[in-house]
Amino acid sequence: MRNLLEIRDQVIKIYNKTEFIVVPVLKFMLAFLMLSIVSGKMGYMYQLDNLGLVLILSLMCSFLPNGFIVFFAAVLSMAHIYALSLEVAIVTLAIYMILFLVFFRFCSGHSLVLIFTVILAAMKIPFIVPIVVGLVSTPAAMFAVICGLIGYQMLNTVVTNAMAIHTMGDEAAMAKIRLVVDSLVKNKELLVMIIAFSFTIVVVYLVRRLAIDYAWTIAMAAGAIANLVLLLIGDLMYDTNMSVGGAILGLLLALAVGKVFEFFCFSIDYSRIENVQFEDDEYYYYVKAIPKMTVAAPEKKVKRINMQTQGDAGRPKNLDKNPARERSVVVERVGEQRRKRTTNERIAGGKSVTVGKREISEIEEFFDNLDEE
Amino acid sequence: MINEEKIVLMTKLAAYEKGEGKQNMAVGKYFMGDYISLHILRTVLSGTFAFLLAVGIYLLYYLEDLMANLYSLDFAAMARNVVMYYIIFLVAYGLVTYIFFTLRFFKAKKGIKRYYQNLKKLNSMYHQQS
Repeated sequence: MRNLLEIRDQVIKIYNKTEFIVVPVLKFMLAFLMLSIVSGKMGYMYQLDNLGLVLILSLMCSFLPNGFIVFFAAVLSMAHIYALSLEVAIVTLAIYMILFLVFFRFCSGHSLVLIFTVILAAMKIPFIVPIVVGLVSTPAAMFAVICGLIGYQMLNTVVTNAMAIHTMGDEAAMAKIRLVVDSLVKNKELLVMIIAFSFTIVVVYLVRRLAIDYAWTIAMAAGAIANLVLLLIGDLMYDTNMSVGGAILGLLLALAVGKVFEFFCFSIDYSRIENVQFEDDEYYYYVKAIPKMTVAAPEKKVKRINMQTQGDAGRPKNLDKNPARERSVVVERVGEQRRKRTTNERIAGGKSVTVGKREISEIEEFFDNLDEE
Repeated sequence: MINEEKIVLMTKLAAYEKGEGKQNMAVGKYFMGDYISLHILRTVLSGTFAFLLAVGIYLLYYLEDLMANLYSLDFAAMARNVVMYYIIFLVAYGLVTYIFFTLRFFKAKKGIKRYYQNLKKLNSMYHQQS
């Protein structure tokens, strides 16, 4: 655990130092993944189906707000669908606009959630989304999840029926429209997923905000169970042919990802809870303070005392108890605690020495004895 | 000499102004009634447009049937149904908007209140110094 905490601190430290370059790079990768999925799955407009364009758009997205990734993905998908069928493109545009007008105004700050919903749905692991969103975001993000699920379902329908749409002539325009609309309106699996995911987000959010121990872990478990139960009920009610094994595996993966998020965002030490009670003129306060799990970075710096190399430096254990000797200063850094300790010049012998906590206590004991003498 | 407490407070205030505060300040300009009414109005406009789009898709979906039965259709009943669905949709959408933006308003007000408390604290620090 200590090693993990050290690694986490190092990661956070590196991120803070290099944020100005890491954030655009991550945004570039995310945009590239999203646009590659859209372009790779569709690619009906050959002029747009090239890596260069995706790279340029991704590069632009790395310096633009996250909403532009969604915008470019929508435009790219529209263009590909237009190349496949004008009627389907019109319906797609209308549905995009409905999603934008009805849902997106509630979740304009949650573009990342929408992007991840589409990416994870494309990777067949959308179950991670509600658990993680409930943990790190607010229930408003459920609208972004809904937009993502509907958007992905629409694209998926077009992709899986591309051949059929292509072979249908202009005379079958209505059939093409029905195909796309039916995939959304009559799709019970989508409906069940929307309900289950929305409910799960609310459950996870409410439980993780409770003032109980291990709230995040309990929230994850409660969310996973609620999600699974709702999916199973939906499967029984509407016969959605959902893969129960896949859902269970997906939820286990969601729990694992949730634990990773917990480790980075909410790592606290329940073994050191402090319950404090105090009062002022108006209130009594019952405060539960839980310390964050932190670990000191394992760097130990010892300041060189002098340039002499006389004598045997040795370890602080082997102290020559001669009080007449001049004292100099060793500055030791153990994690965040900087301490000054006095020791004999011969102890260091002009060499750098590494002083552990135990040795420090021995040095303290040594000088206490000296003072007594 | 550097006053560490003051710097921490000023950093907090600056971070709030730059991030969450920007959105909250925009909310704070309104009275609650005005803020919610504005969003309800937006809801009516965007909801109407979205509903029209949905009706358009519906018409496209059933275009063949509608054309085949054009002369036997009861347009008055259809219009009544459309209006009824429109009202139901707007009421439900308006209710969601009302709840959502009421919560957002209170959250923003809370943030602004804390911000002004910190400002007062900073001000008193300046007074103490002088």
